[in-house]
Amino acid sequence: MSQQNKNATTKKTKPAPFLVQMGIYASILFVSNIISSLVPASFPVPAPVIGMLLLYSLLSLHILKIEWVDSFGAILINLIGFLFVPSGISLAANLDIMRAEGVQIVAVIMISTVILLLVTAYTTRFFIWLKKKHPARSKKTKVSKGVPVRALSHVKGEN
Amino acid sequence: MQILTTPFFGIFLSLIVYLAGQWLFKKSHGLFFFQPLFVAMVLGITILVVLAKFLGQDVANLYNTAYRPGGDIIFWFLNPATIAFAVPLYKRNDVVKKYWAEILSGLLFGTVISLFAIVGVSKLLGLNRIGIASMLPQAATTAIALPISKAIGGNSAITAMACILNAVIIYALGSWLVRRFHLDSDPIGEGLGLGTAGHTVGSAFALKLGSVQGSMAAIAVVIIGAVVDLVVPLFSHLVL
Repeated sequence: MSQQNKNATTKKTKPAPFLVQMGIYASILFVSNIISSLVPASFPVPAPVIGMLLLYSLLSLHILKIEWVDSFGAILINLIGFLFVPSGISLAANLDIMRAEGVQIVAVIMISTVILLLVTAYTTRFFIWLKKKHPARSKKTKVSKGVPVRALSHVKGEN
Repeated sequence: MQILTTPFFGIFLSLIVYLAGQWLFKKSHGLFFFQPLFVAMVLGITILVVLAKFLGQDVANLYNTAYRPGGDIIFWFLNPATIAFAVPLYKRNDVVKKYWAEILSGLLFGTVISLFAIVGVSKLLGLNRIGIASMLPQAATTAIALPISKAIGGNSAITAMACILNAVIIYALGSWLVRRFHLDSDPIGEGLGLGTAGHTVGSAFALKLGSVQGSMAAIAVVIIGAVVDLVVPLFSHLVL
């Protein structure tokens, strides 16, 4: 594999061969499965989420080049609608719940989905608006105005 | 029926119903009701129900013996697909670096506010305590939501249903919701919202809207998982 990786380094824009990309994803999945099994059960972190962080770190640290993972990843992401079909059909196993109190539950789920979408979007918009409204605000100005630093510093962070 | 016990049946059925959905979606010029994933789900369940009646079997039993071997193979590919979201996330590292504080606070406060709203709606529609507890962890992906749901006294089958329907709803109604509530004026909030409400599928949808939306949705899937892990048990302890 390292031989082929070297080839990819020399031709910068050329994507790594399909199987090499697959191998990279499989290796990351393997490592993240091991990490996931070490995490305590009361704080579950699924392997794919660990894998995403792992790949993101490897890309950020320039250990992996984006051409080695880009095109295979794009194929997978484009397929997600299809990959999710078995999850949708798995509801067939729970039709008895639907029969008992299905209408209420589906209604709550639908409303909750919209709540999660809108509340997250608007809350973030509020924080970005705050940042844009006070772009030059730093810890020093807060001190000079007599506002306790500790109370505000964690709200705005180091930005 | 030997063919029903090999993985072939599950894979074949998934393909056929999804392709039927794509065809209907194209024929109807993108009518949300014919969104491929939604059509595939309804059509697939209907076929299983009819087939179960025809064979004189229980639907759940038929699902487990006939559909699941093949379905699980397709489902497994969601693992590398989730990992793949690191790529769009990395491509927009500039946004992450500039707005990380706003992203974190938006997701944290957004989740807490949403939890109160979800409890309110659930009580209004008359869900019992088990039902409400099952609704709380739904912002996280299934792998996180199910154990948390069990831990706080919910029914994990209902939670699984919530997580799955979240994704289907966002995929089907996402473009309408974005337009109706003018979410597109702020791509960061738009992406975080889609990732929170629609999980991995919502992230794929967000990526179609733009690179910022896609990367924000990907980061939302990661951080919301941690937020749900930490906040929901505490919240259910205090509020329920």
